[in-house]
Amino acid sequence: MKDRFGTDWSKIRGTQFWKQPQLGRRMFFRHVGTALSGYFLMPARPMETIAKAAPSMIGTAKNVIFILMTGGPSHSDTFDLKEGSWTPSFMAPTSYGDIRFPQGLMPKIADQLDSVALVRSTKAWAAVHGLGQTWVQIGRNPASSLARIAPHIGSVVSLELGPTSGNRSLPAFLSLNTGSGPGAGYLAPENAPFYVSPGGGGLGNSSHPNGNLVFDRRYGLLQEMDAETRESGELGTSITEMAAFNLSARKLMYNGDIDKVFTFDQNTRNLYGNTGFGNACITARNLLKAKLGTRFIQISVGSWDHHSNIYTPNGPLQGLARQFDNGLGQLLADMKQDGTLDETLIVAMGEFGRTVGPPNVQNGRDHFLNQAVMMAGAKIRGKRAIGSTDSQARDITDPGWSRGREIRPEDIEATIYSALGIDWTKQIDSPLGRSFEYVPFSGQDLYGPINELWSS
Amino acid sequence: MCCSKLLSFSVFGVILATSCLAADGDCSFNASPEQFLSIQSRTRADISDRLQKVTSARFSSAQQNTVAASSIPKRNFIDEQIFAKMATAGTASAPLTSDDEFLRRIMLDLTGRIPTSQQIRDFESSADPNKRNDLIGKLLYSPEFVDKWTVWFGDLLQNSATALSTAAFARQIDGRNAYYNYIKKSINDGKSIRDMAWEAVAAGGNDYVSNTAAVNFAINASAANGPVQDTYDMMLLKTASAFLGMAHYDCLACHSGRGHLDTLSLWGQRTTRMDAWRMASFFSRMRLNRYGQQATQYTDPMYNSADVQDATAGQYDLNVTFGNRPARCTNGLPLDPKTNKCPVAISAAANQVTPEYRVTGAKPKDGNWRAAFADNMVVDPMFARNFANRIWKQLFNMGLVDPVDGLDPDRLDPNNPPPAPWTLQATHPELLEKLAGAFVDSGYDLREFIRIIVGSSAYQLSSRYDGDWKVEYIPLFARHYPRRLDGEEIHDAIAQATGVPGKYTIQATVFRYSPTDVVQNLSDPTVWAMQLPDTSEPRSNGSVANFMNNFLRGNRDTQPRSQAGSILQQLSMMNDTFVNNRTKVSASPALVAIAKLSADGAILDEIFLSFLSRLPSARERGTGLTFLSKAATAAAKATAVEDMAWVAINKVDFLFSY
Repeated sequence: MKDRFGTDWSKIRGTQFWKQPQLGRRMFFRHVGTALSGYFLMPARPMETIAKAAPSMIGTAKNVIFILMTGGPSHSDTFDLKEGSWTPSFMAPTSYGDIRFPQGLMPKIADQLDSVALVRSTKAWAAVHGLGQTWVQIGRNPASSLARIAPHIGSVVSLELGPTSGNRSLPAFLSLNTGSGPGAGYLAPENAPFYVSPGGGGLGNSSHPNGNLVFDRRYGLLQEMDAETRESGELGTSITEMAAFNLSARKLMYNGDIDKVFTFDQNTRNLYGNTGFGNACITARNLLKAKLGTRFIQISVGSWDHHSNIYTPNGPLQGLARQFDNGLGQLLADMKQDGTLDETLIVAMGEFGRTVGPPNVQNGRDHFLNQAVMMAGAKIRGKRAIGSTDSQARDITDPGWSRGREIRPEDIEATIYSALGIDWTKQIDSPLGRSFEYVPFSGQDLYGPINELWSS
Repeated sequence: MCCSKLLSFSVFGVILATSCLAADGDCSFNASPEQFLSIQSRTRADISDRLQKVTSARFSSAQQNTVAASSIPKRNFIDEQIFAKMATAGTASAPLTSDDEFLRRIMLDLTGRIPTSQQIRDFESSADPNKRNDLIGKLLYSPEFVDKWTVWFGDLLQNSATALSTAAFARQIDGRNAYYNYIKKSINDGKSIRDMAWEAVAAGGNDYVSNTAAVNFAINASAANGPVQDTYDMMLLKTASAFLGMAHYDCLACHSGRGHLDTLSLWGQRTTRMDAWRMASFFSRMRLNRYGQQATQYTDPMYNSADVQDATAGQYDLNVTFGNRPARCTNGLPLDPKTNKCPVAISAAANQVTPEYRVTGAKPKDGNWRAAFADNMVVDPMFARNFANRIWKQLFNMGLVDPVDGLDPDRLDPNNPPPAPWTLQATHPELLEKLAGAFVDSGYDLREFIRIIVGSSAYQLSSRYDGDWKVEYIPLFARHYPRRLDGEEIHDAIAQATGVPGKYTIQATVFRYSPTDVVQNLSDPTVWAMQLPDTSEPRSNGSVANFMNNFLRGNRDTQPRSQAGSILQQLSMMNDTFVNNRTKVSASPALVAIAKLSADGAILDEIFLSFLSRLPSARERGTGLTFLSKAATAAAKATAVEDMAWVAINKVDFLFSY
């Protein structure tokens, strides 16, 4: 069964990895149309070759800030605003060029809209929180069996690009306010997310609660008392490994560079809204400025799971949006000023959207597959939307990009890789000799980056 | 998908099965990422690393020579097997453990706790020749044993209140608590593991209710984004992996073994997808339903619970072309590439797969198909082998077959060895068979089976090995392989040694105002980490949960429990408030008592015994006494005691059971 854009999803669903691509002639041309030269359109050329020859990476980004809006924000109240009798006045819908935006809900981001693109033709695969959150972080179906060893997108970035140049005190992948979730998968532990919940008082556990003097005394004594252990060089690699963990940890302590990133004053905090999310945004700004190695930063913020009373003034949606707006709005402004915005792709999305139109009986909104994604930075062209939806944001009326279909989490993943200059179709060996495809099915050209973000 | 290479070769409908690499490895849904890395050599390299870490941490001043394998007393059939093989290989054995080494190890392994200084003194001073066996008996029947092995089964049975990443619906906190209570009671009461496994597979009822809480295992099988067949397959995978050690069904649920498992599993390469469907068909009448909810969640105590029931009719239907696995077509045929549909079956029956148990071909005698599966499963020789191997691994830190869910039924029977070039799979094939037999003879009794293992000289070997150690010795078990303590054990060791326990409230439910008798409350407050019902707790104290998470407790779903090290672990041990609030004389009754001791030597001994379960080496004593002697006043002494306690916690051997 074909959708209105001629795509038969039953044939290319992400869950059906064994399927052949089954791309019709129209789909074929739609896929390759803008990106490839005529040579590749010669019918005799096998599809696989085309896909392999195709990748042309955007490469404008050195860093990524991936904001996971856990719980699934209501797209029709935020990035794809649709007004109705239910819309409260505090939302203050305002037009910015072609974009309708809830200025009252997110005034600071509204001020930065010239850097922002709203991807409104996005659609999740699953309306289940855990599944959806894992899906957007690993960029593939968590229920497929390769997903069991699949790394987080940030871990793949770490593997590909390693830490940024500079003194490399910190790992490439930092995850703020996240705590747990998909990790390095089968990749080496150095690609695992380094979890931090920043509070502005320095990197957690990087100073001794009893003070520097006490620590020095204790650490000195420890070195002496543990010398037998740590000096016995004949025991080789593992001692080195254990000592290295301790040494790396020690290096993060009482380290001026590290302190500068993770320490900030009340004024700065207030500027960013004085919330956990705001603190994470300050940390992200500082990290990218300081260049201590980190290049992929995830920030988790939620919960957007507003099943009830979504429009209560200062209630769940307005309160959370205020936190989000204060943090991200200020981050965009600061990054624009210090120049890091142009080399950093910012992606903010939930695991899915929420039901549209009049709210439910509890005055809330439930899980819904259609969603909207906010993107900024890395020289994307701002102040516009990619794709459009009907009057309630229930259905996509125009996908707004070359593939002419809904944008899926796998496409977002490909966009992130492409922005960083990583070949999203790359396949690497797993330790078992099986190949692992960065973006699933990209070898068959089922998914690819949203190049339209950069087109003028 | 067991073989993603297939993707790139299947582009135009030609599936080149041979392109699925021969080096294809374990592809379990449940296996840990490490297990994907760890073909046997990887496991052994890890063990080698851990060994070196810890043995170097031990007192090099207490040198002890290796001994001839033949000189170790043979206490039971385990020793006969282990030391005979060692002798044949001409490899010397590590010596038997000293009393303090043994005490720390046996307590950590059986109860997850380190010994107190008094326990060490009493044990060492006892002249009773039977004191080790007496201690084993006492520990096996201690409440701490129940706590530790409840966590072990919680990991195995994947009990958590967080939705599994593949689940169509989540187990709630109340279901988690009910299952926790069920497991704990089963261990406490000495319920046979056979019965626990039988109930996991066949129980029906509501997951919040205590006497039907065993159904929580089946809830793990609910598969999202697919047809019911995905759930039947998932139930087979979870069951076969946990109870038969046969995770390769994960591969077989997608495709026959030939062309995929040829170098991995002798059994797997001759097993077909149809065979797997016949096994999964036992679960095709299982129905997972949400409990019919009343109007609001605030008044209904059963809100969001799940019911597991069995239909009286139905079977595993084929001609299903969507979902998480390749199209299921008649006789396992592929899709017609032109129509993208299954080939037409020769009869309606050819699209209906009915249950047949592996090897025996046993079919259900009546309508209760899950019970029929469970009946067959518990008498399947793989059942006893699986638990024998898993429990061996928990105690020896390496399985006789490792990874433990990669058992190959065709390569385990020493009386029926596989054709060349295949070899028997276990490091000690006869031992695994005898262990499996002993497990059955014990009445599938966890305690009595463990008693056999830990009573052996093989288990009681030291991890110290002063001879020339080679990686090739690892399969011989010529010394004990150390393990890093689990997060819960580290928490409890620090809490116990300082005398500052935890105090955590475990939620029963967030929104329910009128708990009824079905609501499963846990002890309040929970004091020991080993009593927490899953690895997301204590949710009421995020900083303590984070402290333990740094030690990789896993999430009982996608992230397995792991013994890897990290920078965050080191930062936590040095600076976390969990450690530093407890290494304070003002907070710790244990340190207060130690600071009051008059002699520096006594202070040092007491700290070493309480934290490290041993006395200091000569060099450590020298350094420690010099440090303590600088403290002239009582206040300075107290500070020195705090420093020394912090150092003890940060010494490498504190983190290990060796």
